Amino acid sequence: MTDTVTITIDGQDFEVPKGMNLVDAAKLHGIGIPVFCYHPKLDPVGMCRMCLVELGNVAIDRTTGAPELDEQGNPVIRWFPKLQTACTQTVSQGMVLRTTSDMVVEGRENILEFLLTSHPLDCPVCDKGGECPLQNLTMAYGPGESRFIYDDKIRLAKHVPLGKLIYLDRERCIQCARCTRFCDEIVGDDVLAFHERGRRLQIVTISDPPFDTKFSGNTTDICPVGALTTTDFRFGARPWELTEVSTICPYCPVGCNLNASTRMDREFGGKAMIKRIMPRQNERVNEIWICDKGRFGHHHSRHEERLLAPLMRNKSGELVEVEWPAVYKAIAKQLKAHGDQAGFVGDSTLSNEDLWELRRLAELSGGSPRLGLWPATMSGGDVVAQVGVGSETRLQDLGPGSVILVMASDFEEEAPIWWLQVKQAADRGAKVVVANARPTKLDRYASAVIHYRYDEAVGVLNSFTAPLLSGDGQLGQGNGWGALQSDLQNAEVTHADTANLLASAENLVIFLGSEGLTLEQHAELMQAAANLLIVSGHVGRPNNGLIPVWPGANVQGAWDMGFSAEATADLLANPPALWVIGGADVAGEDIRMATALEQAEFVVVTAQFMTPTAAHADIVLPRQSFAERAGTYTNGLRRVQRFYPAQGPIGDALPDWKIFAHVSAQMGGPRPPVAAGTIFRDIAQRVERYIGMDYTRLAWFEPQFPDVGGDDLYYGGTAYSNYGGLGLQWPAEAEAEQPQFSVRPVRTAAPQTDGLTLVPVWVLFDRGHLFEKSELMHHRMPQPYAAFNPDDAARLGLTDGDRVTLAVEGHELTVTAQVGDDNPAGAVLLPRRLSGDATLSTPAACTVQKIESMQKVEG
Amino acid sequence: MAHILLRDLDIPDIWQFDTYVANGGYEGLKQAIGNHTPAEVIQIVLDANLRGRGGAGFPTGRKWSFIPQNEAVKYVVVNADESEPGTFKDRQLLEKNPHQVIEGAMIAAYAIQATAVYIYCRGEFWDLAHALEERIEEARQANLVGENVLGSGWNCPMFVHLGAGAYICGEESALLNSLQGLLGQPRVRPPFPAQKGGGLYYEPTVVNNVETLANVPWILVNGADAFKQIGTSESPGPKIFCMSGHIARPGNYELPLGITFRELIFEHAGGIPNGKQLKGILPSGASGPVLRATDEVLDSPLTYESVAKLGSTLGSASFILMDEDTDMVWAAAKMAHFFKHESCGKCTPCREGTYWLERIYERMMRGEGTEHDLHLLNSVPRQMVGVVLCALGDFAANPVLSTLKNFPDEYERYIRQRPVREQTADTLQDYARKEAGEHPAAVGEGGL
Repeated sequence: MTDTVTITIDGQDFEVPKGMNLVDAAKLHGIGIPVFCYHPKLDPVGMCRMCLVELGNVAIDRTTGAPELDEQGNPVIRWFPKLQTACTQTVSQGMVLRTTSDMVVEGRENILEFLLTSHPLDCPVCDKGGECPLQNLTMAYGPGESRFIYDDKIRLAKHVPLGKLIYLDRERCIQCARCTRFCDEIVGDDVLAFHERGRRLQIVTISDPPFDTKFSGNTTDICPVGALTTTDFRFGARPWELTEVSTICPYCPVGCNLNASTRMDREFGGKAMIKRIMPRQNERVNEIWICDKGRFGHHHSRHEERLLAPLMRNKSGELVEVEWPAVYKAIAKQLKAHGDQAGFVGDSTLSNEDLWELRRLAELSGGSPRLGLWPATMSGGDVVAQVGVGSETRLQDLGPGSVILVMASDFEEEAPIWWLQVKQAADRGAKVVVANARPTKLDRYASAVIHYRYDEAVGVLNSFTAPLLSGDGQLGQGNGWGALQSDLQNAEVTHADTANLLASAENLVIFLGSEGLTLEQHAELMQAAANLLIVSGHVGRPNNGLIPVWPGANVQGAWDMGFSAEATADLLANPPALWVIGGADVAGEDIRMATALEQAEFVVVTAQFMTPTAAHADIVLPRQSFAERAGTYTNGLRRVQRFYPAQGPIGDALPDWKIFAHVSAQMGGPRPPVAAGTIFRDIAQRVERYIGMDYTRLAWFEPQFPDVGGDDLYYGGTAYSNYGGLGLQWPAEAEAEQPQFSVRPVRTAAPQTDGLTLVPVWVLFDRGHLFEKSELMHHRMPQPYAAFNPDDAARLGLTDGDRVTLAVEGHELTVTAQVGDDNPAGAVLLPRRLSGDATLSTPAACTVQKIESMQKVEG
Repeated sequence: MAHILLRDLDIPDIWQFDTYVANGGYEGLKQAIGNHTPAEVIQIVLDANLRGRGGAGFPTGRKWSFIPQNEAVKYVVVNADESEPGTFKDRQLLEKNPHQVIEGAMIAAYAIQATAVYIYCRGEFWDLAHALEERIEEARQANLVGENVLGSGWNCPMFVHLGAGAYICGEESALLNSLQGLLGQPRVRPPFPAQKGGGLYYEPTVVNNVETLANVPWILVNGADAFKQIGTSESPGPKIFCMSGHIARPGNYELPLGITFRELIFEHAGGIPNGKQLKGILPSGASGPVLRATDEVLDSPLTYESVAKLGSTLGSASFILMDEDTDMVWAAAKMAHFFKHESCGKCTPCREGTYWLERIYERMMRGEGTEHDLHLLNSVPRQMVGVVLCALGDFAANPVLSTLKNFPDEYERYIRQRPVREQTADTLQDYARKEAGEHPAAVGEGGL
């Protein structure tokens, strides 16, 4: 049996994969069959009838089962008497298609004439005009003129809000159901539906709050007309005025490829300005989807509160504007004085180039560099380097036979597009195992759900590993096998079925977060995951291995550049006199950091805004946002990806690398490099993992199938083709020809005490200092709260909605209590970054006090 | 001759369980389970050449034989969404002779070894549906439905489900969607309902019309040969003809297939009242082409094949008769409005085409029809036929094309003399525009 069949399209023979539908099969060979409702990421429905073709099959003799032959010995073709929809038919051997016959041409003209009877003629004011599949296909296949009388056109509401982010124009909608199918099939959020029937059929939102999904913006991309538009972009610009710039999302470890549509804009002093963010197709990363945080979270790049000039404290202690050379000198002076006691912290939004120059600066300052990364919630960069998921892993390849374990993570909140891809893998037949102390949304797609106490996390992984150690261990004969064996020989097997499922999986991918774990505990959990992967043989090949759910876009890059969460912890334990902080709002997010900075002698901060951290600083340096400069981020799958300058510069802000390089020069280092690419060349020579990479190679691209973002708008969406680069992955050690594995027994956490533990959790739509600047997203950001288990709440005398004071490490936080059955006992879940108040990065003991004297609201 | 289907005409109390049983009721089910294997039951129905009475005339035994035997879950769905204009036969069967339908459905369920039977009633049948539930309960207490049916070890509960009032839900795949709680829109086929993935809850499913199943008990008791004695060889068995419109004695008539139009209309249903001449015949409600009442037509036999030869369909045999005074353009306008109102909107040609046709008829009813409109009426329906997702779009073209073909003079009159039927035009206008959700206020800013 071969995996391909031969079909004939317009007289030419083509080899196409079995099971493919006719639209894709034709496109694979460059033959266009126009579509509206069909989308290669969605199941075909045959609604719009645009893809009509003439179709014939090989006639089969019923008695013999063999193809009937004519006098010349050629197979007899039996033609369907009527036109068939190509999207709902799959290829079969010998199938014959006509896509250009008179019958087909007329059929398409007829469908377009029908579609246009109800479609308004408002292309000149329509946001989709210029990149509209309906416009394009009308030009290509339309009848030229309509016989429909204009006054008979149906008139419908043109500004129907579906939530606060998306507007529906009911006149423009052609009822293709792509948006409802996206919500149903891809996301699984039942938020959009058809209402009524016939010509009255219309899209409505059926959720409360309306359009309640984290992925709503994608519907505007796949909408083949201008019916769905975002509040962010509608009436903002015409597509042909826009310049497309490739960029990378700065928010989470997925590393979604983005496309910034920019225009020289009056509102931005005539400089290039981001008008919208769109997905850029990368089938290895985000396919064609992005979440609403990535799409609407770009406003910080040009927010009016951006810092425009360097600030330095004067004699009376006020921050005043100064020139760049003065601050370089001042910092250099401080570093020369305190260099061996300096601490350096790099944020997850810093590019590899920024981090590299920060490291160079640290190295020049003397002593052994103390390089902390932020947020410092997850350990295990070394473990990832060893057993990280194999190169060329594509989450969309996971299906039957694959098992995906997601542990210690509220996955949709922490890495939305991975969540989306894992959900779809489950739909395809992959088994998903979710392990956490509390239910999360992924549970509904899970084959097995394990709820443990936070202190039992390591034990859960050990119980999976233990049964696999019974033999001699043919695979994992590396270091530490014996020690692990004896350590786990008495381990309790608590989830035998799941252990079996994991062990027997053809492919096993583990996503690991750090919810409820201290840094030390998380280091052990990462090692426990490595043990399991090595012992079960799920390392060193594609679609197998560990993917850390890092707490930011470039945490992986920070590890690669020599930064670590342990170093951050060490900086807190032994505070330096001088802090140099790149980009991070450490004091605004973490009470321990805030305390440490208060006690520091001198603090230097690069910042986009006057954050609490900047307010603590002696020198504040205006840094450029991701939108104004070039750089690279390394995502959670270790893919190094380039981003390009999209926006004009603001004030005197500079990229972090330039700031650090200038200070280095002031300290006697080399002259500052001229461009980010130069620094990357330096990195590629000195960081082993990046050897062989350079900006040109990172920018490689190839045709991706299905070509959703194609310039021909073939599949009728506005995702963008990837011309900015598909990025390069560095291989994990397990992929070496003769990998050196090491396993080791891991310490389990001390059992939780009776008291309450404050457990920081992530919320996607948070009030982090960058995302908060997107005011259109404020309605999606929850009010600050702490979540309690009902039993704990009863003991504390709390009910849902009470105001409480949380006391932790000498600090007090006031929030609203939420009581729910899903919350684990003994833990107080406190989302990070929901208010201006600093919280915690890692768990700590806390006490809770209810605020009794509620002031009566007047009126 | 005693009725086979409309037995209530002979035995008024036959809706009662005891009366039904006393008159040979449930014998067919008992014989099926007691004397035959499921495969034999299918063979008997195949031999009888019972053809589906819902409209398509597909052989019922063939339909049953498509169900894969090794599937664990299979369903029988009774299509009681009787929505075709002029059709009221299933209603009489379910109201007056319900146990025969229940029995027929159970025989079908036995033949395919179904897991459950669902009776999908149109929304307006709510009173009927409640009564039907009581009848099912009677049958269940007699061990004819439910667990361990007649001690055979086979379990098959039966449920009644009410639709929400949509013509399209008479289309089997839309019906299945509606039954599942989804929007009543047809599905892409294949997979067909009989296949895994195509039926109710995506399990193999037989969907049969009420009248079709009502024939089944009689076939089991009397045999396939006896059934074939009735009617013609191609179209055997009795058929209920629903007579309405300009007819002296409207109502349901159970007659063997193969009688002529003339016999049906003039001998059985009493002819056209007030001494008028018969002009137009709709043999299958609104969905089949209109026939002109010529002698050729009137002398044709009523079988699936011969009506097809005349260029129409027997369909569900719901005859709407129109006398010489009927304005055929007006009638076509009413039907165009009906299909526009009932189009589900899923596929483009039907959604937009029915709307467009209604607009043209509205213009004609206002006396504003033009030569151009005549041209459109000839071409717009042709753009719909054959490229739509389900048959509704094809049906919608029928009244337009057939009245144009058979009564061109009346269309000419609308273009030349331009009579005005304001009231009809207003109905079309109101439904089209107001129900479409047009809000003048909302059109306002940015609107046209």
